[in-house]
Amino acid sequence: MSAVSKLPGGRFLGRFLEKIGFGGRSLVIAVPVFWLLLFFLIPFLVVAKISLSEAAIARPPYLPLWEWEDGFLNITLNFGNYLFLLDDPLYMSAYIESVKIAAISTFITLLIGYPMAYLIARSSPDNRNILLMLVILPFWTSFLLRVYAWIGFLKGNGIINNLLLKTGIIDEPLIMLQTDFAVYVGIVYTYLPFMILPLFANLVKLDGSYLEASADLGARPITTFFTVTLPLSISGIIAGCMLVFIPAVGEFVIPALLGGPDTLMIGGVLWNEFFSNRDWPIASAVAIVMLVVLVIPIMLLRKAQAAEAEAH
Amino acid sequence: MTESTSSIAQKPWADPNAEPFMQIKNVTKKFGSFTAVENVSLDIYKGEIFCLLGGSGCGKSTLLRMLSGFETPTSGQIIIDGQDQAGVAAYDRETNMMFQSYALFPHMSVEKNIAYGLKRAGLPKAEIATRVTDILSLVQMDSFAKRKPHQLSGGQRQRVALARALVKKPKLLMLDEPLGALDKKLREETQSELIKIQESLGVTFVVVTHDQEEAMTLSSRIGVMTEGEIVQVGTPHEIYEYPQNRFVADFVGSVNVFEGRIKEDGEDHVIVESRDTGSDIYVPHGISGVEGQKVAIAVRPEKIEIGKTELENVRNSISGTVDEISYMGNVTVYKVVLDSGKRVRVSRSNRIRSTEDALAWGDVVHLGWAGTAGVVVTS
Repeated sequence: MSAVSKLPGGRFLGRFLEKIGFGGRSLVIAVPVFWLLLFFLIPFLVVAKISLSEAAIARPPYLPLWEWEDGFLNITLNFGNYLFLLDDPLYMSAYIESVKIAAISTFITLLIGYPMAYLIARSSPDNRNILLMLVILPFWTSFLLRVYAWIGFLKGNGIINNLLLKTGIIDEPLIMLQTDFAVYVGIVYTYLPFMILPLFANLVKLDGSYLEASADLGARPITTFFTVTLPLSISGIIAGCMLVFIPAVGEFVIPALLGGPDTLMIGGVLWNEFFSNRDWPIASAVAIVMLVVLVIPIMLLRKAQAAEAEAH
Repeated sequence: MTESTSSIAQKPWADPNAEPFMQIKNVTKKFGSFTAVENVSLDIYKGEIFCLLGGSGCGKSTLLRMLSGFETPTSGQIIIDGQDQAGVAAYDRETNMMFQSYALFPHMSVEKNIAYGLKRAGLPKAEIATRVTDILSLVQMDSFAKRKPHQLSGGQRQRVALARALVKKPKLLMLDEPLGALDKKLREETQSELIKIQESLGVTFVVVTHDQEEAMTLSSRIGVMTEGEIVQVGTPHEIYEYPQNRFVADFVGSVNVFEGRIKEDGEDHVIVESRDTGSDIYVPHGISGVEGQKVAIAVRPEKIEIGKTELENVRNSISGTVDEISYMGNVTVYKVVLDSGKRVRVSRSNRIRSTEDALAWGDVVHLGWAGTAGVVVTS
């Protein structure tokens, strides 16, 4: 029975839709499929198409992929953009640097986020809601404003330097802004909630009797953490790391605002290709490669998770 | 001589010189303004299976959690094998617990679950392996060593949980509703196995349960708890036959309670005048009081005889009308309404299949019980 047939007068329509293979179930599934098609697959194909075309001084700034000429269909696929990415070491090092910065930031976020998530999950329900609120609160302010605020903290005569100078811990201001350090601070700060929330969701479900059983069998709290809590929260750790690592690799705003001239991340390269060089095909190729770099490990991980879920 | 020592060995609590293995002294636990456990004192002897019996929220689990170190008493003292447990953390106590939910680590195999406690104790690998194998065969789970908990049935998990708690050879094993999750048939089998295992290892068990039947079959002694207090401690026989108050009488098995006042306080008996029965009740023991004092007499349903004709050889006799009959197979339970409106529960075992003498709804019947059948309980 389709859902439509439950509506008054919808019985006929429901039967008709079912007959042509469009039951209630397929209608429900159709909505997200349509959404993904419209906002993910089609834009992706457009970008993929541009990455295979040739740059030109025109509007749009690339040559069409196919042309109809005298009864001939000419399809020109230009793989030169991809070859160029391999040729110029700038791109390769930008990819490596991005993955490195994202990986280190993810790790630091995990180190800071895990104890916070643990504390929130273990606190009383009243306090828990307040603490969760505090984690989500920064989202109420624009992300850009918050990153700008960090400039005020990190700059030469900023809050941190002034404080350290006044208390006599340092004699001259530390150079923090426009360094990789500032980029790490920015990424860790921005993405911390994305680490805490999935970890919290996982840890809050952790049955307290496992911890008690572990203590009962003679394990000190630290042993219990490494032998019971950590292995049982691994899916939360993976989810949190994914949510931080993936956007961090393509991060553009944070390195642009807080990073220095040496900070080379693929997001910045992409921006330059698109807006400074107006080389859309190269920029598209950069984007496609970035996607592949990210998607392959994600798919491998998903496969591993599915295999593990099956074993359970 | 030998007989008396053996009976004392079986009933160490009856020997005034016996050293209790565990002492709970005036233990109170408060959560904010709520008192979960109120001034409980209890001695438990080596090799006992001691049951804490009570309804949910009576404080039995809190008491157990204090013994295992998960909660700290607000006041009072817990001494296990001569050692005061104050300030001893759960991981340093030589006690183990079998959790109600079993709490088997889901990411570890059966084998690793059982080895967990031994590894924490830092035993050599070879010894861990032999002890795990031994305990697995004791609970008949040898062939499941490599399985994960989620691949086991409820009964198998229960065995693994028991093995994990026993493998460290604890001084005291605590079991929180050990058979709660099993179906009736499996429960009966496991009960007797549990007793066998306990006897072969000689470990002292403290069992928490809300199931009176489980408490009766398992335990050497039962402590009945309500509202944070222990109201009676005794062997299953004592608890059932001589309940000290109405709560115990009512909680363990079913009971008929007749209210009344003492009419005559004789040397070897009292006579209680009861409006419920419309006649006097003769009680040969267990009370002395002033005339006119309010008392309650408890009589178990199976101790009341029922018949269409006047009963012989009974000290107390009343009559009423059959109002309800529940046939349970082995017994039939009759609910009889007396002239006073009081409903009396009577059970009769179906020893013969014949229905010749069968009672029917609306029959006028005679009820009677021996003088010794009634027990005086305080409310």
